[in-house]
Amino acid sequence: MLDFLNSQGTIYVSMVLGGVLGLSLYLPLLAGQLSLASPGFYALGGFVAAVLSTKTFDVEGTYPIHLVLVELVVAAAICGVLAFVVGLAALRLTGIYLALATIAFVEVLRVFTLNLELTGGAVGIFAIPQPFGTQLSYLWLAGPLLIAAALFTWRLEKVRVGRAFAAVREDELAAASMGVDTTRAKITAFVLGGVLAGLAGVIAAHQINTWSHRQASFDASIAYLAFVLIGGTRTFLGPVAGGLFLTYLPEWLREQAKHEFLPAWAAEFLRTGRFIIYGVLLAASCVFFPRGLITPELLRRIKRIGRGGSRPPGQNIRPEPEVVA
Amino acid sequence: MSSSRAQGGQAGKTAGQPDADAGAGQQVSGDAVLLGIAVAETSNVALLGQEEVIGARIAEKLLNASGGVNGRPVKLLFQDTGGDEIGAINAFQAVINAGVLGIVGPTLSQQAFAADTRAEAAGVPVLGPSNTAKGIPQIGKFIGRVSAGVDVVAPLAVEQALKLNPAIKRVAVAYAQNDAFSSSETKIFQATVKKKGLDLALVQRFQTSDTDFTSQVTNIVGSRPQLVIVSGLAADGGNLVRQLRELGYKGLVIGGNGLNTTNVLPVCGRFCDGILIAQAYSPAVDNPINKAFVAAYSEQTGNQPPQFTAQTFTGVQVFVDALRRLDKAKRLETMDLKTLRSELNSAVLTGTYETPLGTIAFDPEGEIKQQKFYVAQIKMDAGGKGGRFVLTN
Amino acid sequence: MRLLFQKLLNGIAIGSVYALFALGYTIVFSILRVINFAHGAIFTVGAYLTYALTGAAFGRNGQLRNASLPLELNFWIALTLGALGAGVLGVIVERLAFKPLRQRGSDPLLTLVSSLGVAIATVNILQYLFGAENYSFGETLGSMPASVTLVGGELPVVIRTKQIVIFAVSMVLVVALTLLVNRTRTGKGLRAVAEDLTTARLLGIDTDRLIRLSFFISGVLGGIAGALIGLAGSFNYQFGVTIGLKGLAVIVLGGLGDIPGAVVGGLVIGVAEAFVPAEYNAYKDAVPFVVLLVVLLVRPQGLLGRAQVQKV
Repeated sequence: MLDFLNSQGTIYVSMVLGGVLGLSLYLPLLAGQLSLASPGFYALGGFVAAVLSTKTFDVEGTYPIHLVLVELVVAAAICGVLAFVVGLAALRLTGIYLALATIAFVEVLRVFTLNLELTGGAVGIFAIPQPFGTQLSYLWLAGPLLIAAALFTWRLEKVRVGRAFAAVREDELAAASMGVDTTRAKITAFVLGGVLAGLAGVIAAHQINTWSHRQASFDASIAYLAFVLIGGTRTFLGPVAGGLFLTYLPEWLREQAKHEFLPAWAAEFLRTGRFIIYGVLLAASCVFFPRGLITPELLRRIKRIGRGGSRPPGQNIRPEPEVVA
Repeated sequence: MSSSRAQGGQAGKTAGQPDADAGAGQQVSGDAVLLGIAVAETSNVALLGQEEVIGARIAEKLLNASGGVNGRPVKLLFQDTGGDEIGAINAFQAVINAGVLGIVGPTLSQQAFAADTRAEAAGVPVLGPSNTAKGIPQIGKFIGRVSAGVDVVAPLAVEQALKLNPAIKRVAVAYAQNDAFSSSETKIFQATVKKKGLDLALVQRFQTSDTDFTSQVTNIVGSRPQLVIVSGLAADGGNLVRQLRELGYKGLVIGGNGLNTTNVLPVCGRFCDGILIAQAYSPAVDNPINKAFVAAYSEQTGNQPPQFTAQTFTGVQVFVDALRRLDKAKRLETMDLKTLRSELNSAVLTGTYETPLGTIAFDPEGEIKQQKFYVAQIKMDAGGKGGRFVLTN
Repeated sequence: MRLLFQKLLNGIAIGSVYALFALGYTIVFSILRVINFAHGAIFTVGAYLTYALTGAAFGRNGQLRNASLPLELNFWIALTLGALGAGVLGVIVERLAFKPLRQRGSDPLLTLVSSLGVAIATVNILQYLFGAENYSFGETLGSMPASVTLVGGELPVVIRTKQIVIFAVSMVLVVALTLLVNRTRTGKGLRAVAEDLTTARLLGIDTDRLIRLSFFISGVLGGIAGALIGLAGSFNYQFGVTIGLKGLAVIVLGGLGDIPGAVVGGLVIGVAEAFVPAEYNAYKDAVPFVVLLVVLLVRPQGLLGRAQVQKV
């Protein structure tokens, strides 16, 4: 059993990190900012880990965990500062303009890492030391990160800061005139997203063992966007589920291709045509499930069933937090 | 290759006529011997990967026709690595889980750095069919390659260019700086140029995604070189050469290993004519297995097999030959998977093989020891549509 | 001086490629205020269609091995037909990815992603069917020389004939488009829809038809661009992607939705790229995006666009 889990280890860790990355896009979205900058911070975090572990800390054999923790802190700091600067610069931008600016930011970052000696140029950095013997053990790092991030996001929506986000998202002008510090809200959301992506990058760099400029790509932006859009844009569980599911999907398709009864072209399609499926899924979900698959309505329904039968709304003693449609 | 000769010359006889004698002689039956082929079947790297898939399939057919592994059929499991590292890791993991004895792959050196460490950790032998960057066999004791390193192959093209035009003084070099392989290949080229006492007049960079090279070309033409060396992939490299010619450059052109594919021919058309490319493989190599391989390939496509196809074929062949030898020494059924993989690894490293690449062996680190390399020159047909790589030595 | 002139020429050549691509992008944006990410895919399909119509064969690596059509049209005829086909594809994309969302009043960002999904699916279907090989169009210019020397001498200033063609075509197209939008009745309808969709509908304008038309035009433009740029170099199933991203920078620079702006933006970015000094060539690819960032931060409406007044 453990053997099986071990052999699937890479997928599970990637799935969990996918959930984290979905959340990293969700956080700025809470404040109404569609930021596609996560891959940039993800790559940056990974580079921090890669450079520190291969060039600064000279370690033989298994890489000690406390050094990974150091890398996490350093990456968080660097990503935080950069996200602050970018967030500040992008304050005036909204909607599509902000999205475009973040796309441009990631590309510029990628070109820079492509050209610096420090980040290994086109080759990137490889032979990144491993703190764990098996892939599955990376869950010790990725798992808590996801759980902490998810819990954090969940609580965030309920406290003052989170409500400020919601206010900015719904109507920035109104929020500003009501005294909400929209600047602080937007930058905070942006920084949170960037830091989270950076942390994911640190873990991924060790897990994948090599890291290069190609980690900061437009394709990755789209992938994370898909996690949120298909998973659910209105609740923190959406991006998590989206990240888990969509990271697993190509591998699942690869498995399905093994069935004996499939004709050759169908198996070929499942194996190599998974991007076709991916694209169709993305478009279809936008058309048919614009709020994603996991919506607050769905969660409410599940909760009601869990409570044993439907209770008409309005009889709730404690009013549920309003997620404005 | 004593084992296949010991099989009563079946290999020699049936390999020459794969269809004629299939089924005659040794019965191929029983549990299949699994080998994994993890190369790029999607993404733009698929251009190379697809050539490799063909090579693997031909190997499967020919080797099974000559008895498989002493009677047991060889079965190849294909998994697509895509173009990135994660895809390679996943593909490797998938074939390892499926119980393969060895893996031929991945396509790119970059992918190898990531995926090979997995195989090393799992104790699965790997033979890289097209990984030529420095440091690959050194990744681990289970990692080897049948693709000679770039530092061995590249300088030969420069030597051939000098033979064709001893008056070469100035050289311009262009490379795709966002491609890991081209970036390392160009360093070898530039070092060779300097070692030969030539003047490295200009170094230009481009991206593999570029389609317009006017800037680089005008700079290159302006530096008036007698030789231009291009390290890139088929599309960008081919376009660069085409635009060089369209803008009036008349000197010699050397293409790096990325242009070593017929995929470059549709790109530069008649302007491809004359490009010199160092080769690790020649269809003219005169041994039975290469003849059979070339025959099978031209039957399928009407063309001569390219280098990557030959190298992948060789990778599969090496595994099968080593398995045959291992089976003779200690029967395969007596070993469990882990031991089997480890023994196969040792067997691979200690053998000598007659392959389409010629006679090859491996050094203890897994690096291929190949005796002969070649330089080819592209000759386009009159219409500019088809062309061939014609060997010059 | 000569070098300067050559670089300028290079820049204009690259720039007209971007401009040609951006024209289709900008038309859709000007009407619907959404970025049609599928434009890059339609661009690629245009190139493939033209290729197929010239009777050329596809390679061995897709599902349709060695497929070729039983006709052999002249390149320019194939280009026209291929572009029309791409236009039809544009309309289909509109039906699938845009219309349902528009009817629901969805966020334009959702449309962006949905068009992206279509783009990913389309481009990979091309790879599945035709393989990942590069294709090119062969000698279509006939007896015309491959390059033109503008200033002779020891270090001549040259430009490739195909680049001249691309530049000429983009100029012709931008003039034609501007005329269409500003001088015809249909163009008036398009401008009305661009101004305010609901009002236009209330005024009895058939907005659906006009939207379909603009997607058709955009597709045709994309198809022409694809075939011509494929002509200048080579093409494969992915060649719409990088251009697609740079195209974003171009239209933002020129002003989102502004037709001459697309050309101006393209030329400016092309020239900027050409003037990057050789030592920094490595950073050339960052130029369009740095430009994009600067424009967004300093003057989001672009060079030619009108300042957006935020209505409260």
